[in-house]
Amino acid sequence: MKKNLEKVGVKSPIITSTWRLIRGNPAVWAILGLIVIFSAVVPDRFLSMSNLIAILKNFAVTSMLAIGPTFVILLGSIDVSYMGIWMFGGALVWLLYPYLGLFSIIIYPVFGLLVGLFNGIVHVKAKIPSFILTLAMTALLAFLTTYVRNISGVLTLTVPAYNFLRESPIPFLPSPFLLALPVILLALFLMFFTKLGTYFCAIGSNEEGAKLAGINVDRYKILAFTISGLLTGLGSIAIFVHLGCQTRVDFDPSELVRGLAAIVLGGTPLAGGMGGPHRTLLGALVYVLIFNGLFLLPGVDPNHLKLYIGTLLMGAVIVASKALKGASIT
Amino acid sequence: MAIVETLLEVRNITKTFDRVVRALDDVSIRVEKNEIVSVVGENGAGKSTLMKILVGVYQPDSGEMYHMGRKVPFPKNPLEALKRGISIVYQEKGVIPHLRVYQFLFLGLEEKFTRLGRLQLGKIISLAKSVFEELGIKCDLSSSMYELPLSMQKMIEIARAILNIKLMVGGEESNVTPIIILDEPTAPLSIEERDELFQYLLNLKKSNSFIFVSHIIPEVMMFSDRVYVLRDGKLVAHHDLRIEKISEEQLFREIVGRASYHELWVKYEAAKIREIDKKPIILSVRNLTKKGYYRDVSFDLHEGECVGLFGPAGCGKSEVARSLYGDISADSGKIIVNGKEIKLRSEPHTRVKVGIGYFSGETGKELLLFWPIRKNLSIVNFDKVTIKSLKVVSVISFRAEKSLAEKIIKKLRIKAPSIETECYSLSGGNKQKVSVGKWLEKSPRIMILEDPTIGIDVGAREDIYEALLEMKKNGISMILVSDDPKEYAILCDKIISMKDGVIQAVYTNEEFRKVIEL
Amino acid sequence: MAQTWFSREWLHRNLNTIIPVTGFILMVIALRITNPYFLASWDSVITLVYGMSWFLIAACGLTLVILMGSFDFSVPSVLKLSAMIFAVLYPSIGFSAILVSVLTGLTFGAVNGTLLARFNIPSFMATLATSMIAEGAAQVISGGYTRMITDPAFRAISTTMILGLPSIFYYAMLIWLISIFITFTTPFGRAVYAIGGNIVGTRLAGINVKKVRIMVFMICSMFASLAGILYASQIQGAHMQVGVLDMIPLFASVVVGGTALTGGIGGVHRTLLGVLIIRWLDSGLSMIAVDLNIRMIVFGAIAIVMTILTIDRRRIKIMK
Repeated sequence: MKKNLEKVGVKSPIITSTWRLIRGNPAVWAILGLIVIFSAVVPDRFLSMSNLIAILKNFAVTSMLAIGPTFVILLGSIDVSYMGIWMFGGALVWLLYPYLGLFSIIIYPVFGLLVGLFNGIVHVKAKIPSFILTLAMTALLAFLTTYVRNISGVLTLTVPAYNFLRESPIPFLPSPFLLALPVILLALFLMFFTKLGTYFCAIGSNEEGAKLAGINVDRYKILAFTISGLLTGLGSIAIFVHLGCQTRVDFDPSELVRGLAAIVLGGTPLAGGMGGPHRTLLGALVYVLIFNGLFLLPGVDPNHLKLYIGTLLMGAVIVASKALKGASIT
Repeated sequence: MAIVETLLEVRNITKTFDRVVRALDDVSIRVEKNEIVSVVGENGAGKSTLMKILVGVYQPDSGEMYHMGRKVPFPKNPLEALKRGISIVYQEKGVIPHLRVYQFLFLGLEEKFTRLGRLQLGKIISLAKSVFEELGIKCDLSSSMYELPLSMQKMIEIARAILNIKLMVGGEESNVTPIIILDEPTAPLSIEERDELFQYLLNLKKSNSFIFVSHIIPEVMMFSDRVYVLRDGKLVAHHDLRIEKISEEQLFREIVGRASYHELWVKYEAAKIREIDKKPIILSVRNLTKKGYYRDVSFDLHEGECVGLFGPAGCGKSEVARSLYGDISADSGKIIVNGKEIKLRSEPHTRVKVGIGYFSGETGKELLLFWPIRKNLSIVNFDKVTIKSLKVVSVISFRAEKSLAEKIIKKLRIKAPSIETECYSLSGGNKQKVSVGKWLEKSPRIMILEDPTIGIDVGAREDIYEALLEMKKNGISMILVSDDPKEYAILCDKIISMKDGVIQAVYTNEEFRKVIEL
Repeated sequence: MAQTWFSREWLHRNLNTIIPVTGFILMVIALRITNPYFLASWDSVITLVYGMSWFLIAACGLTLVILMGSFDFSVPSVLKLSAMIFAVLYPSIGFSAILVSVLTGLTFGAVNGTLLARFNIPSFMATLATSMIAEGAAQVISGGYTRMITDPAFRAISTTMILGLPSIFYYAMLIWLISIFITFTTPFGRAVYAIGGNIVGTRLAGINVKKVRIMVFMICSMFASLAGILYASQIQGAHMQVGVLDMIPLFASVVVGGTALTGGIGGVHRTLLGVLIIRWLDSGLSMIAVDLNIRMIVFGAIAIVMTILTIDRRRIKIMK
């Protein structure tokens, strides 16, 4: 067995990583378990084509919220500015559409990149805890979005011209999923086929050691935040399309928790150093399956969503907290 | 024997810190091709300062450097040193636990393996494989570093250092022999792992040179070709072990020196309680075991007695001490304080309640550096500074706190402008005094001391010894863990010698002094 | 070290006192100029007092948590939940509802503290999870509807006038003073500061770090729930919007007072000034018709700038 693994390891790290991911990750078992349970309890509703497509759509949205911040969590820091980038980026697209036309969608990644860069620089140079900084950023952008909506006198910030994006060219694969796919591939590429993944893990695992190895830690920290912003910006396009070519205009903390929960459920520890976007994808799938199945069950009130999300997040962090032993946690 | 060829030589290096502390005084060493040179000395003898100068972390005040016979300026940063073929493997913190072996091996070198923005994983892995084959390391390339045994981690770190040099020096000078500095590489390793590491080093000697920094004498004697002895920043001896034959004791005496501690021994004799064995037993430890650190440790501690746990770094002595204080927890065994067994897995505060105190020389860990001295002194003495008349709530009386602080400052001769001075602005010795001073008034039944005088000057050291001896005289029992054998001779009535986590022998003070020939 | 009283050193050391004090003075002057009714009559004073009292109670609790170097997101949610429990249960069990409310708050605090101290979960994560649970619970018990209580006794808890000021003001001051007393003169308070300063050293000095952490989170949640109860009484009921927008102003008022986010620096005594600045600025800005969203952005920006200014960088090696 061990010899066999060794051979595989030398041949291709991708195969080993995939094998490790499947073997060592409870998220995989959770996914299988959830599918079996819901297929058994509510087979007609859970396995219907429309529901499966809904699962794919929700998976796209959840993974797009969570995939960027995963890179920052690898560092052991945290980035929750994704809500802000998603909301205000949409407001910017809406504001600039009259001037830029269809090109205005480019605002999303550009804006994400800039916010990420700003977060990174302020976090590294001014030494503010990343959580507080990015949360303030999210709040600031969210309130700005609501403000834009309020002063412009419209109900939603919709750009109907992008409606053509909602039509999927491939049957059974919804367009948000197709839009999310390149972002997922980009994230996986950055993680596994460039040095960045290694560097982020190294910094999260042992920052002093990374410094001793000659890595410019500050620069790569800023880069992680920038990548996080960029991926969130790109991913927000999928969410934008999913919501009917509009952006969210009121801040909802449960959406914020959604991204964090997907990351934690996927098994990327908050202490950093391990995990990555591949795990977050699994986490996102677990999250989506749980809530998709849950609300199909009789007697589950969608109004109590927050209660379930809170409980889920708490359970997930308790399970994930094993990796945090020994560190002085505040 | 191959032709002796000097790879690197430094002459007359002097380095002072803060214009006062002379860390290195006129030190010259050289490294020849294919040899292991040891630099030995106590903590604070200047070993690490010298190494940091060699790799460009510090700049010396004066001195010269010759590389392959040519005079060169001192490296200004680690990268410059690397380009000359000098690299360092740090004692700790060098390993990045969560990376895979091949990731760690090439960390920082990825640029050379990137094409069109894509990392050439295949190339990296095949190169890693050939490097491991060449160096004789057998391990799974895709396992994480933390899964490997510590000796393997160290070996990979060394391989990484060699690889770094090979790749940085590059084409035109590819015949350069790498010089790898090993800073206390064996400290965390078990005895079997040490042998493994040394076999590996002897194997690598054919194509590399090593500077081996250590204070563990037997392994220095066994594996190095030449030895330099540093003491208080000066080079005191140089032996070529291939020619000379010296005993471990001789080397030991050179490292420790013959500083006059007779005055303190007189004090020890004065503080000594006769027939200590007749005093009541205050602490008994029975078969205390922590997997991977120590096993079956048993001893008794009498009232007013000081027991020293003696042994090389990594023998489990400090883990025993920390388990007794509850900082880490033992797996099995019994700790009985005053006839009452205490739980192995309890936090330090429960140990303080039964009368155990703890003091380590690591002031950065212990003190609240941004608090005034007054508060740092009263943090363990709340029972002494709270107003007794208020039964319901405990309220700190600032007057009591102030008088407590003043008393301790006077007693320990702490040099500080006032009791409100923040601790971070104090000198190392004074910080340590504050750290030990807070227990002075608490007067616990048992004090656990871990390296109580590490890294401080002689004067402050003597003040601390005096305070400790006085505590002892007042009937406080102590357990000492230290790197300095003199400390055991000054403070301890009974010395327990440990090796690889197991008790080897028990000496009285007199016997111990004979053993270490002081 | 030569110490003149006005040196760079002095300025730097006292930055977290100078900023709030000058900020407060400037703010009062600016509000007085832009708004002729600001502090013009006793009624306007009472309005401001109503605005800040319940807020001060919650901010005192949050300050204690931040002094420990932790963070508590669940304060506004627990506040809302307590207000809701009080309003929902009052018609059936009367003032015993206060007890239920406070016990709920204490439970949430205990859970927060335990998640941090026993399970090693970073407090922001733990409290984010519990805040969602509290929000959800408030939704469940109220069904999402606004509860109005017209009983004058209910309202009297916080609005009885004593010496020209409402009773809620005295409660707030009492809690504030008690918090100051605890932090400055008791071993427990010392331990709170010590944990914020150097948790490893505090543990080695024989302080029960876990217990102190759990207790501080319990106190924080208890204060939040007292604030919720008094606020419910002040507005004669409770609704789902209570506390929704309070996290940013609460956080802002703690750091604006000069308490550093990294812990160990500052104190509850500073929070009063912070609360005055934030709440008076809030009412001043809303009087000149500044949009709510813009106000929140202003507070968020103030909070971040003050965080940058008050963090003690000497002691930070690695910032996550």
